[in-house]
Amino acid sequence: MRLLSRSEELVLLAVWNLENEASCLPIQQKLREVTGQSWSLGSIFDPLDRLERKRLLESRLTEPTKERGGRSKRVYRLTVLGRRALNDLRSIQETLWTEALGLESEPEKP
Amino acid sequence: MTEHSADRTLQPPRIAEWLLRRFFADNGDFTHLGDFAEGFAALAAEKGSGRARLWYWTQVFRSLPGFAANRIYWSLSMLRNYAVITYRTIVKNAGYSLISLLGLAVGLAAFILILAYVRFETSYDRFFEKKDRIYRLVNAEVKPGETSGEFATWTPDPVATLLKTEFPEVRHAARVMRQFSDPAVLRHEDRSFAQSGLIADQDFLEVFSFPFVRGDRSSALAAPGTIVITEEVARKLYGDEDPVGKPLSYGVRRAQGDLTVTGVIRDVPANSHLRFDYLLSLATLEADKSNDYMFKNWNVGNFTIYAELADPTARKPLEEKFASWIDKNRPSESEAKLRFYLQPLVDIHLRSNIAGQLATNNEIRTVSLFLAIAVLILLIAAVNYMNLVTARASTRAREIGVRKVSGADRGQLARQFLGESVLFSGLALVSALALARLALGRFNAVAGTGLGFRDLVDPSFVLLIAGVALAVGLASGAYPALVLSSFQASAVLKEHAATGRKSSRLRDALVVGQFAASVALLVCALVVSGQLRYIQTRTLGYEREHVVIIPIREPGTAAKADALKAELLRLPEVESVSRTSGLPTDIRSRMINQKLVTDRGETITTAYHFDYVDENFIDVFKIELAAGRNFAAGETNVALINETFARTAGWQDPIGKELSSMDKARVVGVVKDFHFQTFHTPIEPMAVFLESGNMLAVRTRPGDVGDIIARLRRVFEATTKSQPWDFMFFDDEYDALYRKERRAGEIFGAFAALAVFIACLGLLGLAAFAVERRTKEIGIRKVMGASAPRLAARLSREFVGLVLLANVIAWPVAYYAMSRWLRGFAYRIGLGPGVFVLAALGALLVAVLTVATQTLRAASANPVDSLRYE
Repeated sequence: MRLLSRSEELVLLAVWNLENEASCLPIQQKLREVTGQSWSLGSIFDPLDRLERKRLLESRLTEPTKERGGRSKRVYRLTVLGRRALNDLRSIQETLWTEALGLESEPEKP
Repeated sequence: MTEHSADRTLQPPRIAEWLLRRFFADNGDFTHLGDFAEGFAALAAEKGSGRARLWYWTQVFRSLPGFAANRIYWSLSMLRNYAVITYRTIVKNAGYSLISLLGLAVGLAAFILILAYVRFETSYDRFFEKKDRIYRLVNAEVKPGETSGEFATWTPDPVATLLKTEFPEVRHAARVMRQFSDPAVLRHEDRSFAQSGLIADQDFLEVFSFPFVRGDRSSALAAPGTIVITEEVARKLYGDEDPVGKPLSYGVRRAQGDLTVTGVIRDVPANSHLRFDYLLSLATLEADKSNDYMFKNWNVGNFTIYAELADPTARKPLEEKFASWIDKNRPSESEAKLRFYLQPLVDIHLRSNIAGQLATNNEIRTVSLFLAIAVLILLIAAVNYMNLVTARASTRAREIGVRKVSGADRGQLARQFLGESVLFSGLALVSALALARLALGRFNAVAGTGLGFRDLVDPSFVLLIAGVALAVGLASGAYPALVLSSFQASAVLKEHAATGRKSSRLRDALVVGQFAASVALLVCALVVSGQLRYIQTRTLGYEREHVVIIPIREPGTAAKADALKAELLRLPEVESVSRTSGLPTDIRSRMINQKLVTDRGETITTAYHFDYVDENFIDVFKIELAAGRNFAAGETNVALINETFARTAGWQDPIGKELSSMDKARVVGVVKDFHFQTFHTPIEPMAVFLESGNMLAVRTRPGDVGDIIARLRRVFEATTKSQPWDFMFFDDEYDALYRKERRAGEIFGAFAALAVFIACLGLLGLAAFAVERRTKEIGIRKVMGASAPRLAARLSREFVGLVLLANVIAWPVAYYAMSRWLRGFAYRIGLGPGVFVLAALGALLVAVLTVATQTLRAASANPVDSLRYE
């Protein structure tokens, strides 16, 4: 499998967590909540595009609304490939983490 | 508040939104813009429009870097796409691509070469630090009632001192002269070489910034017995030693002296009108009593004088002040006024053609002529390229339609075409550089230049050429980019091909222009070569073949010259030997204001050319006697004159007449007129006097030249030990007279051929294109019973018409140019209709052959195939 960049991984996870409401603004909000950093919209578009091109995400357009200045919203959803990728990532990380025991018990400074 | 303005406060900031749209390619559906707008609306509802605006701007600014990177990435991948499509187009139409590439590359290569040549010629003397303040003194004897006279650089010695003492605006005045019997033999211990040099004073080193490698510039030429040599001579004579302070023995025909080397300078660059291997101090000549006549004497003009002014604006006033000074103070019996002019240093190489120059120079006319040819060829090639590209592009109308349907906008299409054509012209540029590199050696040989590849790839130069290539690329891409991209997709796809008559009429006009230029060049080339052939074959009045010239360079050899002559005559290969100073190509001196008494008793004033020869001169060069007899050995005060002299003097029987000025020399014979000058000037009066000269002219019997030279050398070296062996062929000397014309002729010929070649390439491409587009028509005509030759004729007709039209345009232009060129020759060929017809037939023949290769093939094809085509 192809590994994902950290931002792609986070965006993919955020989309999964948001289930059917995964448009850009909720994703931005979710990421801010989780990471405690503010993400610009522009920094989300790019990973979203790339994930879609890798077929890990698929998207649909909603009806245009007034508060969007008459534009459609693009709502993302994970594909089967996307779910598999997340699972793969998770197992890799878990394997690595279990082998990294003792990380928390840093030796006290004298 | 109105509804409208309330709405407005809820709108995201316009400028920010515009920025987003500008920088963010969003696959066209603007959903991302929508995300921004939604975020803005939510925040505005919650915390007011001010906060929302702030948020919107922050979002935009933080997102921009990413967008920009994205944009660059995509435009790069578009570039790759252009490259791929260009590659596919090239491969798909390999034949056409090769033709247009070849034409453009050849044209650019010719342009590069000529431009490099022009750059070299115009760079003469510009490397001197004080180039803008250095002037050469040029003088003219202005006869009463005339406003100007014949210019010469020979200047009397007192002028230099005068300039420096009487006129404060002159900083330095340098006197330079060439040794009479140049080159001289330079010797150090057992090494000796014949080198050519100049005699110059200390001011010369002040005026001209020739860089010193060793020695002291401020005093190097001040003392008698000093010499400055170039690095090359230093290496040859002294090897790795430091030559400064070392002795050097110097020999010319009449003198031998021991000098001390006081300096070594860098080798003189090729683009200097002053060329020399050594500089002998003028003080050395001044110290010798026998040279007194040339110093402080207003009547002997041996020097070229260069003045360095404090300020270039002082030039005109100085000329006037000097003129009035001369009128007041110059001791002179002549009623003609001596006038001096200051000629800028940088004008010497290209803008002066006057007597007594230190080096043969070029003419600005030739240089601009070459430049014009270069531009013409480049134009032909560019037009060619444009024709082929636009012709091909019109077949891509369908491609454009499909692209438009699948969403390409006009800008993209335009970029595609421009990109393609620029990429292609870049390819042509690279091939052109390679071609120019290959042709460089040949070009140097023909044009007499020493250009290296480095002159071709000099940064500013390459930039210029690249600019030209880019311009050609853009210009030829402009038609498809601007016109074809504007077609309506539906129209293009519906109709078979949407190219109007208009573009093809433009192409016709361009073809006519191309061929007009080619035919004009062809006519010029034919006329130039005709005139050159005329020069080569016209009876000269002397025979130039089988004569070897052996110069006598130093006193040791001069003393043995008669013995040498006797020894040479003993060789069976040698027919006759003359000890002469002049050659039939080079009667060196001219006397003006000579008073002669005609048969009718009138006194006339005339000028005549003269030189010193011995009694074998007319035998060696096979000059015929018209009256009287040849010199007899041992006579004194005798002269031979030519027929023109006798005619000018009005003498029926010139034998026994006296030429008053030359020691009352008596005319003993009249030689038939021979061309001692070039064909540019009519034959003028000439006389030769009996006196042994400084070279041996040896007429040999026809035979193995190498063998004969080897035998001459053996005799020479056995007789004289001090002088290194060297010789010239007399016919080389003759050829040198017309070198300029021959170069112009050869270059003309070569480039005219190139022009025709490129124009035909274009025609080939267009013919192939026309035939291909009419494949179906040809098939139908064949089915209806047309024969192959008639079809071919039909297809060729329009091209032939174009070429004929081109001739009509080219003839008057070529006629005008060539009649002006021929006017420069006193003896010239007539400008009949022959050359024009020949050029026309030549161009037509090549054009018809070119077109016929295409049309015949199409016309003889099986109609079944051509109808099935598509």
